[in-house]
Amino acid sequence: MRRALFAITGLAAGTTALVVLKGAPDARQVAQDLPAGAPGGTTAATPGAAPERAAAKPRPTGRPGTTAARTPGAGRTGTGAGPRSTPAAPRTSAAAPKSTTRKVTGPVVVTEFGNVQVQITVTGTKIVNAVALELPQGGQSDLRSNRVDDTYSGTSGTVVRQQDANLDTVSQATATSNGYRQSLQAALDQVR
Amino acid sequence: MTAPVTRPGLRRVEQVMGTAISLDLADDLPAATLRELADDTFHWLREVDARFTTYAEDSEVRRVDRGELPLSGASADLRAVLARCADLWGDTDGFFDAYATGRLDPSGYVKGWAAQVASDRLVAAGAVDHCLNAGGDIRVRGHSSSGQPWRIGVRHPWDAYATCLVLTGTDLAVATSGVYERGHHVVDPRRGGPARGLRSVTVVGPDLGVADAYATAAVAMGVAGIGWLDRLPGHLHAVVTDDGRLLRSTALPLAD
Repeated sequence: MRRALFAITGLAAGTTALVVLKGAPDARQVAQDLPAGAPGGTTAATPGAAPERAAAKPRPTGRPGTTAARTPGAGRTGTGAGPRSTPAAPRTSAAAPKSTTRKVTGPVVVTEFGNVQVQITVTGTKIVNAVALELPQGGQSDLRSNRVDDTYSGTSGTVVRQQDANLDTVSQATATSNGYRQSLQAALDQVR
Repeated sequence: MTAPVTRPGLRRVEQVMGTAISLDLADDLPAATLRELADDTFHWLREVDARFTTYAEDSEVRRVDRGELPLSGASADLRAVLARCADLWGDTDGFFDAYATGRLDPSGYVKGWAAQVASDRLVAAGAVDHCLNAGGDIRVRGHSSSGQPWRIGVRHPWDAYATCLVLTGTDLAVATSGVYERGHHVVDPRRGGPARGLRSVTVVGPDLGVADAYATAAVAMGVAGIGWLDRLPGHLHAVVTDDGRLLRSTALPLAD
């Protein structure tokens, strides 16, 4: 009796999980939260969606729910739950690299005014910060900066940084067909 | 009332001119009409590619360059393109040069021009809301299927999956030229070597072929291109230098 109840609950949870997974994510959401590789259109959408939903729901067991439904003992015996929850763990951690923060340091660029080096901080696929580790100090470089600002009215110089927004399309230097495959535009084309 | 499940319009991507061309028709027209418009658009782009490519020895451009086909016997399109290239050579102080590589290669103008013509034809056919992205050079008209003006990201020059600016508008040509995709391939026609100093140049204006040519010319100019762009009438720009600085027109139509 109790076992049957477990089975039914498990089945219900599994069905809910399937429905949640089926509910396609907003295309724009996926575009912003793009996995670095972004392989196939549909395959890219599903793994992107799954961890997001799993994280949103305080019920990570909902995902392997179909397996749990088939083995109602999962919630009952400790030994049964152990191996079940272990394979679930790498799945959540597999999503983790997308949201981890890493710093990427550019090369030292030698200019006639001094050395320039930029470091960016990347969270997932977004640049959240850009700092100049090394910039020419004083003297001629300041003169040049002022001269540039004075001369080029209507333009302002800032460290190039990433801007996050919903996009319809992306303008960029013409890529080869190969370059296109690894572009934001290709990702946009795939999710729509 | 429930929200519509599917968006109106049509989206299609095809590989033409050695790059990907993405068409987004946002008008709520019958599916058959949209398909026909997309077919016509890509047919035109492939036709241009066949005639203007420098990669096939039997293309019209190659035959003219070798002297096998007199200019008077060339198509009206080719003659118009070469006339525009000559104008652009003057407009850019020689930095846009269809002969920069030593032989006739108008492709710095052709792709943008072809996309501009395609966009004009779509408007004439009643598809007033569309976005045509020809390998990163974009012509937008009207609104996206969300009903909002189009939102155009400019690729971050160091990150293929990020943008450094987002533009918005209902009638814009946006062309970007840069050295991050194919290396230092833009030739400085004055020095004969690869252009350096600017990593990415985006030009916004009314005509995509002209915007593309201006962006390429500015890359060829190097840092001096920033001042040149700033004095360019009727066009706005954004520049990212090799050392990671962003300089742009204050009037650039930024989103938000």
